Amino acid sequence: MARLSGLQKDVLSLYRQCLRAVRQKPAETQSHFRDFAKAEFQKHVHVGKKDFGTIEYLLRRGRNQIELYSDPGIRDIHS
Amino acid sequence: MASIMRPGLLRQACQTPAASQRMLSTMAGSAINRPIAQQLRPAFARSAIPKSTRIAAFHATQRNQILPPLPQTIVGTANDPVPVPNPSPSHGNYHWTFERIVAAGLIPVTIAPFAAGSLNPVTDSILCALLIIHSHIGFEACIIDYFPKKRVPRVHKASLWALRAGTVALGLALYSFETNDVGITEAITRLWHA
Amino acid sequence: MACTRAFSRLATRRTAVRPAVFFSRGFASVNDVHAREPISKVAEKIVPAPATSTIPESKTSTIKEPEPTKDARNKTFHIYRWSPDEPSSKPRMQSYTLDLNKTGPMMLDALIRIKNEIDPTLTFRRSCREGICGSCAMNIDGVNTLACLCRIPTETAKESRIYPLPHMYIVKDLVPDMTLFYKQYRSVKPYLQRDTPAPDGREYRQSKEDRKKLDGLYECILCACCSTSCPSYWWNQEEYLGPAVLLQSYRWIADSRDERRAERQDALNNSMSLYRCHTILNCSRTCPKGLNPALAIAEIKKGMAFA
Repeated sequence: MARLSGLQKDVLSLYRQCLRAVRQKPAETQSHFRDFAKAEFQKHVHVGKKDFGTIEYLLRRGRNQIELYSDPGIRDIHS
Repeated sequence: MASIMRPGLLRQACQTPAASQRMLSTMAGSAINRPIAQQLRPAFARSAIPKSTRIAAFHATQRNQILPPLPQTIVGTANDPVPVPNPSPSHGNYHWTFERIVAAGLIPVTIAPFAAGSLNPVTDSILCALLIIHSHIGFEACIIDYFPKKRVPRVHKASLWALRAGTVALGLALYSFETNDVGITEAITRLWHA
Repeated sequence: MACTRAFSRLATRRTAVRPAVFFSRGFASVNDVHAREPISKVAEKIVPAPATSTIPESKTSTIKEPEPTKDARNKTFHIYRWSPDEPSSKPRMQSYTLDLNKTGPMMLDALIRIKNEIDPTLTFRRSCREGICGSCAMNIDGVNTLACLCRIPTETAKESRIYPLPHMYIVKDLVPDMTLFYKQYRSVKPYLQRDTPAPDGREYRQSKEDRKKLDGLYECILCACCSTSCPSYWWNQEEYLGPAVLLQSYRWIADSRDERRAERQDALNNSMSLYRCHTILNCSRTCPKGLNPALAIAEIKKGMAFA
């Protein structure tokens, strides 16, 4: 596997963080959360590799979102 | 050599580099032909300007991103306070008080030899010591500001060591100048009267 | 790896030398501006853009007044626009032309009118429209201020430029991300800390003199105008607390009812939190409420020096 840049590592670690957060959710809705996280990443998959500003912004927004959605009060999601 | 200190020559010397700078930065046409004395107009000349035009922007230098902004990093959740660093008075209030005492002490030590006209090696050495400490603290503050430890730890450390080396070199140079030559006060006096 | 990122970003920044804006300056104030470029032009040059450069208004379309009348006093507003829905697009300056006869006197009125009648996608924070909530802090013509307290200059020939607060991460258009600012505010524990109950078991009493010490401190509405105008805060945002938070810290240090004075001072007693203030005084100059954060910071330093 090719060496990843710092930014790519950040994106991957955010994705892992999402998958870990999904496991805290109730078992029957975990797939919904997983699909949602996947869709959020898929939405911006076309962003260029060197478009640092955009990727940094999306990371920032992703971190905000994960903090919001990992609240135990949120038990299901429909995207 | 000594005549460089003369203000008239100084003004001429200042104009040449200003002209060479213009090669790089094309200034607005109105600014080019004005003498430097007009650009350095004292602050009290402001009173003639209508108040509405006196609203000033925050900084007047050209925008130049030496260290472009990093991606935002939020430690902890949005509802946690920022971590509070441990108290370290030697970098905090003691440092500040010491800095102010040195700066205040420099004033009488600078004025005294010229006012009294005496050449005392003790005051001379005090002046040298205070100058060294004062400049060291000043440069140290610049390094802490512009080479943040979090952002560029190696540059931060390297520049701090370079500063320490420079301070030691300055100390040795002033020491040898004081002991083997005429001393700093006398040197400035001679330059002034040359 | 991070350093290669920084280098490639350095390469992408504008390499052409821009015309230098030459100022003759006395102390912290810039004087004699009218001899050179209009202040709004200067503002455009100096307001820092987030990472990428902004598309100037000359390359975007101008949106005109919807129903022009005969004796209209049209004024142009250039407003910073950036939408998170197209994250890879560059921020741009959008121009709007408004008839001042139909617009209220304040900048916020102009913004609300643009949002209501011309372009509903324009985003900004606002709430009280009278300078008590601190939501509408933005950079107007190069000065951080509250849009609701800033009059629209009546000269119609001069164009106004509106930017979000400088050196903040942008959420959308004129809305900056204040997360760090609020986290810093939380770190100074902005509430009364006491261990002993009041002597008569009722409220905590305070003499008139002690109450007077809080004047000029309690009025702060945390609009972040001062913090974002401070160059020291620009450079060291993560560690330096900034004038607004330090003013709030002093508000509790100065309070006679608070019993954790020493702890509050200890929290500031390091190289970064407080002592990155180099008395630049931009904070006092810009404060839309007319407060003096620089004085509060100086009082903290003084109190700690002779503690």
